Amino acid sequence: MKSRKIKRVLLAVILAVLLVIILIPLLWCVSLSFDRKALNALPQFSLVPHEPSMFNYKVVFNTIPLFRYYANTIFVTAVHTFLAVFFALACGYAFAKGNFAGKKFWFIFMLAVMMIPFESRMIPLYLQYKQWGLLDTYAPLLLGACAYVYGIFFARQNIGAIPDSLRESAYIDGASEWKIFFEIVIPLSKPLIATLSILQILSNWNSYLWPLVVIKSQKKQVISVGVSLFNAQQGEIYYGPRMAVAVISAIPLTIMFLLLQKHIVQSIAVSGMKQ
Amino acid sequence: MKHQTLKLKVKKQMIWYSFLIVSILTLLILTYIPMLTTIKYSFHDVEVLGYGDSRFVGMQNYKTIMSNASFLKSTANTLLLAAMSLISIPIGFILATLINNVHWRKLQSFFRVGFYFPNIITGVSVVLIFQVVLKANGGLLNNALSFLTGQKVSIGWLTDSHYSRFGATILNVWSTLGYNMLINLASLQSIPGEIYEAAEVDGANAFKRWIYITIPQMTSCFVFLFITSIINGLARFTDLFIIGGNTPIGRPGGTLQTILMYIYQFSFETPRYGIASAGAMILFLLTFGVTMVNLKITGFFKEK
Repeated sequence: MKSRKIKRVLLAVILAVLLVIILIPLLWCVSLSFDRKALNALPQFSLVPHEPSMFNYKVVFNTIPLFRYYANTIFVTAVHTFLAVFFALACGYAFAKGNFAGKKFWFIFMLAVMMIPFESRMIPLYLQYKQWGLLDTYAPLLLGACAYVYGIFFARQNIGAIPDSLRESAYIDGASEWKIFFEIVIPLSKPLIATLSILQILSNWNSYLWPLVVIKSQKKQVISVGVSLFNAQQGEIYYGPRMAVAVISAIPLTIMFLLLQKHIVQSIAVSGMKQ
Repeated sequence: MKHQTLKLKVKKQMIWYSFLIVSILTLLILTYIPMLTTIKYSFHDVEVLGYGDSRFVGMQNYKTIMSNASFLKSTANTLLLAAMSLISIPIGFILATLINNVHWRKLQSFFRVGFYFPNIITGVSVVLIFQVVLKANGGLLNNALSFLTGQKVSIGWLTDSHYSRFGATILNVWSTLGYNMLINLASLQSIPGEIYEAAEVDGANAFKRWIYITIPQMTSCFVFLFITSIINGLARFTDLFIIGGNTPIGRPGGTLQTILMYIYQFSFETPRYGIASAGAMILFLLTFGVTMVNLKITGFFKEK
């Protein structure tokens, strides 16, 4: 009995040590970002800044338009997420409950897209937007959101589980399909909406290649690209400011994660399993 | 009368299509047409679009690219890096096994969330952090190695071409480990308890149960993670692009140039769209092949 208890405690201790090892890079990064000594030399490892100051952050905010990047990224992420989730639900509803000619065809039409990676159609897509004169606008970043294929697939499964009896009684009251969609399906799909939104926010905040290609002017840039440009310009030195931008660009998702950790972990686990 | 029901039927169909139409058009214009255009370009001599005319050249672009040393190198790099990153899956599995055995529920969910956390950190931030952690002089990893070996270690994990692939893999494993742990853990917890109970009655010890029950039960999860990891590996770009100082040439010494970085180089830096499209087609075929194998293994075709 006693040896069992020791084993349990030992396991917890081992995992705690591993966790600390894995998180040390992050802690060091935060410490460096507040360290005046890290401006242009790498100080000795320490989890507490040698010379605590906000100087590195001041340098960063004076060099690049970080607030602007933030606002741009939040705008793109919010609109993209809204469009993607809305149309995923609409299509998911039609595929789950609808009865129309060509249903199977269109479903395969959408599923097949999962096999076309974005990278393999990037060049013509870029040239198309160039021809339409939409480069350096947010259109290329947002229009694709209107077909969130994975979300459609996921929504179909979830909406399929809503009992038909609810729809039928609304029918008798003379409700249209769109009315049913807004008043019954959407309110009953809150967990689904939350999961899809989380997945969308995570992938949008991290998207890099496409904004790098289509957005050219600095004031329209999103944070991931803006920060990497700053990093490349600073070269090898300026450790403190580089760590400061790393912290700043990681903060929003970190806060979201701390607030919604259970739900996020659940969403990732579920989406991984069902893919 | 009959006419009217037909009208009603058509109207009903139209309503269902009104739910789909936006997504259908989006996929048509932004996915299918560009994909077909990529195929077309890959058989054409397209230099800079709109200047001069493009002409059909058959397999010429493919021949050019397949005999181009730097494309072959980038393909080899991509496959090698994708293979190296797979190490994250067994580590994630072992970690998940340990977490699954934590006795106290609250503590278990704390570890689950804690180990997952690095996966949330924005890709760009991860690179910035690891450029310092993996630095040759004063970097955290070299400091730890110096301490452990008693000698001064100063390996440029991301700047020395002999070690850069290891450095890039360390960075990748750090950020994907949490995801692999999470999926493994979810799968572990869905194994029915009765199987273990029966084995316990038969006198199998914990290690034997792990080898003979857990691992076979986890096969589909491993396949899923393997495929996802390979597909992500084939399209690897962001972290290596930033490590190279926002250039697609795969610094240091071209060791970190992936296929996608090669495509980027010949699309947006020195545009040769025909060549780049042939590269994109090869990337597509590799991804498509892996996806097909995945669907075959998971029995997707049998279902329908």
